[in-house]
Amino acid sequence: MSDDEMNIDDGGVVRRKGRGFQSASGGNESGITSEQTYDRVESSHGNRRTDQEQSTAAVEGWIVLVTNVHEEANEEDVQDKFAEFGEIKNLHLNLDRRTGYVKGYALVEYETMAEAQAAIDGASGTTLLEQTLQCDYAFVRPPPAGPKKGRGGREGRGRSASPSRRRGGD
Amino acid sequence: MASHDNDPFYLRYYTGHSGKHGHEFLEFEYSHGRLRYANNSNYRNDSLIRKEMWVGPLVVKELKRIIESSDITKEDDAHWPKKNIVGKQELEIRVGNDHIAFETAKIGSLVDIQDSEDPEGLRVFYYLVQDLRCFIFSLISLHFKIKPI
Repeated sequence: MSDDEMNIDDGGVVRRKGRGFQSASGGNESGITSEQTYDRVESSHGNRRTDQEQSTAAVEGWIVLVTNVHEEANEEDVQDKFAEFGEIKNLHLNLDRRTGYVKGYALVEYETMAEAQAAIDGASGTTLLEQTLQCDYAFVRPPPAGPKKGRGGREGRGRSASPSRRRGGD
Repeated sequence: MASHDNDPFYLRYYTGHSGKHGHEFLEFEYSHGRLRYANNSNYRNDSLIRKEMWVGPLVVKELKRIIESSDITKEDDAHWPKKNIVGKQELEIRVGNDHIAFETAKIGSLVDIQDSEDPEGLRVFYYLVQDLRCFIFSLISLHFKIKPI
């Protein structure tokens, strides 16, 4: 790797690596970085919450992400833990593809926001198989300003909001 | 406003090829709180699917944990199979002070990994992609009540 593969960004020296940086043309004909219309779930629930981090409902139901789930936990363990806050409509407890053990997170769906909120408040900080769980809404409302344009990808490196903080080249 | 809004954390995965059904691909991208997914299969007139959702800080934290625990940024795609007629995969990740943009051929099976010049590195890539897809497909299917593929 040569020096000119380093670039200075607001976070300090960024180490860049990979053949993807060489095909500067962008290489793929991919659609994701171009501006297209994406389907999203428009919440019909109105102002469910008015505080800072507004959660968002899925098509139906509210999804809670649970992290730091023990790798040997099973669905029944998670079910037992979270059924006390409301009926679980859906539960995903995904496995590590290499080891076959639980990856470390669970997604729990409740029908109502009250149940989801109760689970977040009631289970965060508690333990499951001696590991402390963290819980929060998986989805949030889009920022009110609407989606930012042209983010990401190779063009996205101009993201710095404070160019004055950039250091000169060494 | 969410604290991760100015976080440069970025993730994009693409796999696709151009063939008799046109350009068929699957791609997902996380950037500044927004998770996007696109899947184009022209087989039997399937149409383009594009979905986007805004995810909370704990989702971002878990994505980072999965990426960081894989140690993918310590790998290098220099000796991985080059993209070919069968297609290609791209994985771009900006996390911490690392920014990787890896490119390789599609991996049909673990035999492809074993026979490659860098089986250990390619295996890290392969399983990370599987774990990311698994997480993101769960998010999509729960959010939209659909099966992503």
